Amino acid sequence: MLNKLKEMFRKGNDNEITILSPIEGQACDITEVSDPTFSGKLLGDGIAIRPDKGRMVSPVSGTIAIFFDTKHACTIISDEGAEILIHIGLDTVNLKGKYFTSYKKEGDKVKPGDLLLEFNMEGIKEAGYDLISPIVICNSGNYSEIKTHTGNKVKELEPIIQIMQ
Amino acid sequence: MKELRYVITDEIGLHARPAGLLVSTASKFDCNIKIKNKTKETDAKSILGVMSLGVRTGEEIILTFDGEDEEKAYEAIKTFLEANL
Repeated sequence: MLNKLKEMFRKGNDNEITILSPIEGQACDITEVSDPTFSGKLLGDGIAIRPDKGRMVSPVSGTIAIFFDTKHACTIISDEGAEILIHIGLDTVNLKGKYFTSYKKEGDKVKPGDLLLEFNMEGIKEAGYDLISPIVICNSGNYSEIKTHTGNKVKELEPIIQIMQ
Repeated sequence: MKELRYVITDEIGLHARPAGLLVSTASKFDCNIKIKNKTKETDAKSILGVMSLGVRTGEEIILTFDGEDEEKAYEAIKTFLEANL
């Protein structure tokens, strides 16, 4: 019953999934990322945020599918089925969890704005890593179009990606 | 049906980048390709699936290939694994 009501009141078009910004910062085109894994869209189409704040929140209502042991990245499956990978910085897998504090684990249900991770921006920068953080839709191929809103500063939970079914 | 067993030697395991490369290699072929480790089995053409295995260094993965171009897929994946992981 409750789910039916939620369904009725869900905002926007049913054929669209909106991804909100998990990080406050500058929204950039994914092709600007210096790692070809992301700029070449190997892991899917998306966007990148240059963080202004060391916080990552959930961009959708969904479930944590993967939280890497090294805490530098996680994947969330939205309630509609979009597979969203958020990767803090580039090559940060090599930090093996240093400078990252996670607040959720695999299997947890999350709502937009739930705190997932804090990261020490200064520490990561001083260790020599680029903080630019790709946010990609791993199952992009299932959708007709991935629209991104780039070029602006965004706060947490501002819309950054529109997925068309 | 062909089977390929491989022990991951990359220090960090099968993380995001190699998972993406593995999936893009697998996706070039029409045959069904499954990948499993000791915890689960998944579609080798799904980025999320492959990443969710959380394969670490020293761990064995088993890939199975089933379909018309399984020989070609087997060779391509074997070459990829030996060169990258």
